[in-house]
Amino acid sequence: MTKEPGLFRGWAASMLRWISLRLRLVIVFALVALVSAVSVAGIAYWLNRDSVLKRAQDSSLRSFREGLKAHTDSLPLDADCAAVRKAAGQVADTEQGYQVLLLSDAMPGCTAASGREFAVPDTLRRAVDKPRADDAGAYHLYWIRITMDGDPYLVGGARVEGSDWTGYMLKSLNPERDDLNSLAWSLGIATALSLIGSALLAQAAATTVLRPVQRLGEAARALGEGKLDTRLRITGTDELADLSRTFNQTAERLEQQVEALSERDKASRRFVADMSHELRTPLTAITAVTEVLEEEQDSLDPMIAPAVRLVVSETRRLNDLVENLMEVTRFDAGTARLVADEVDVADQITACIDARAWLDAVDLDAPRGLTARLDPRRLDVILANLIGNALKHGGSPVRVTARTEDDDLVVEVADNGPGIPEDVLPHVFDRFYKADASRARSEGSGLGLSIAVENARIHGGAISAANRPEGGAVFTLRLPRYAPAPDEEER
Amino acid sequence: MTRVPSLLLIEDDDAIRTALELSLSRQGHRVMTAASGEDGLKLLKEQRPDLIVLDVMLPGIDGFEVCRRIRRTDQLPIILLTARSDDIDIVVGLESGADDYVVKPVQGRVLDARIRAVLRRGERETTDSATFGNLVIDRSAMTVTKNGEDLQLTPTELRLLLELSRRPGQALSRQQLLRLVWEHDYLGDSRLVDACVQRLRAKVEDVPSSPRLIKTVRGVGYRLDSPS
Repeated sequence: MTKEPGLFRGWAASMLRWISLRLRLVIVFALVALVSAVSVAGIAYWLNRDSVLKRAQDSSLRSFREGLKAHTDSLPLDADCAAVRKAAGQVADTEQGYQVLLLSDAMPGCTAASGREFAVPDTLRRAVDKPRADDAGAYHLYWIRITMDGDPYLVGGARVEGSDWTGYMLKSLNPERDDLNSLAWSLGIATALSLIGSALLAQAAATTVLRPVQRLGEAARALGEGKLDTRLRITGTDELADLSRTFNQTAERLEQQVEALSERDKASRRFVADMSHELRTPLTAITAVTEVLEEEQDSLDPMIAPAVRLVVSETRRLNDLVENLMEVTRFDAGTARLVADEVDVADQITACIDARAWLDAVDLDAPRGLTARLDPRRLDVILANLIGNALKHGGSPVRVTARTEDDDLVVEVADNGPGIPEDVLPHVFDRFYKADASRARSEGSGLGLSIAVENARIHGGAISAANRPEGGAVFTLRLPRYAPAPDEEER
Repeated sequence: MTRVPSLLLIEDDDAIRTALELSLSRQGHRVMTAASGEDGLKLLKEQRPDLIVLDVMLPGIDGFEVCRRIRRTDQLPIILLTARSDDIDIVVGLESGADDYVVKPVQGRVLDARIRAVLRRGERETTDSATFGNLVIDRSAMTVTKNGEDLQLTPTELRLLLELSRRPGQALSRQQLLRLVWEHDYLGDSRLVDACVQRLRAKVEDVPSSPRLIKTVRGVGYRLDSPS
């Protein structure tokens, strides 16, 4: 269900990405190329067409005029239709290859054609027949371009001055049309080629722009993933190089700041480590001496005995606190190591409960022969914290169950107490988090559960807290049954 | 009544030294103290204590170095007193020849129990002997000879060898060995076993890197075999 919109979004994003720069560049380049190529080709075509047609036309008409003049002058006034036809043939006998038609007002039935007869367009006939006001030229020549049966033709006509003869010529413009057509084709091909060329150019331009952009994107991603030493190679002096330079400066500053921060963080962690370390020396001396005092309690003055008891118990608390603090700093510094061993889980849990005299308060449900490879000391720390916490807040009996799930060892510690308030649940593993603010001084150090979690984590496992539906809280420890044993071979 | 064993406490911090001396004396030990490694080594030569409790962080030569120097000549038990339970410290300490370690702040009772456990390792129990290849373990004289030559083993190494030799061909887990040799009640540090096995191999094996007597049983622990 969730996959399809995701896929679609990915597709849409990639389309947008595609549209974004590369395609835009291609489109712009192609448009520029198209406009310039089409206008150049168009102008070239029209100029060419004009001159080609004009030349063909001029030479045909000139030759027609001369032929007409030469052959009609020699024609007798009463010439019959056959003679006229002959004259038309003579007029048409040129290299231009046009056909001639001679018409006479006196002989309406006679149409003398050099070859095939053709119909003279009315507009031309009217123009030719129209008497002219000025009489400068002997033969005034009119022409028109027509299309017959899909082929272009030039038709020219003139009245023979001083006679009732009218001559028309018909010339095919096919060769010129073919020339122009092939010109148009070549221009079209040139336009197409320039379009393709511009698209390729646009691609190349896009690549030169997009590659640095892509590199920048990758570098930014790397930076975001925490590789703060990511830098870009700067080539050239263009805007992209500027951008790369800015990126590098930003990354450098970021790195410096993070370094400074982590330095400060490290310093404060070192301070805690050093402090708890320094606390140990006097504490060791005090611990050794308080034991002596503890043993002498009964023989002490009854006024002093409670004071000694207090000193003894508080020294023990202080010991636990420093011990836990040390443990936490070890996890923070990353110096904690796993010393894994193959152990029987039920034995370990029993031993943990037994060592703390909790046998009466804990119901254990663990199958015999359930073995796991883990750090027994760390398992003990986890169990002691979870069970101790359950006893403290939930009261006895605490129920501990161990089982395997796939390749995991799962240990549940459930109590019958009031459970954990919902708003506290996310914070139960926080350091020094006290569920009840009024109970500021509890027996615990406030580090127990967070240490338990760290101990689970170093195994590659986890602890979760929840409320049981039937009441009470349940902490679930989940550890991989076979923790890695990197140095097994060497031992 | 047997002679009360004497122990030498090498600790530079005055308060800790005084307090531990007080506490250990009350537990019935004869305690000598030294404030530096140099003094400790001198006292060792003069007084011949039965056991040394050695602080790791010492001015001048540190505890590891003291441990190494003692091991060159003497095989008496050494318990390290380390303020840092940093794992690397413990590993280095065990490699330099310590038999056991306790982490500060240590309770007097715990230290006392460790001391007694270490001392017990040197006590003889049975009066037979066993032979593994060219290795002869004489349980009555508490000596081990290799090719007829006496081997200098610390009580812990000897006890480890004895426990393994009592069950020849049978794999013993690290936790079992911790119970048998170190008397750690239930969750000892298995690195103690590994470090001690390394030291023992260096002494009894012909080629310590390819052991033929003390074999590692993967996922279980160690086993003593007779080479055939």
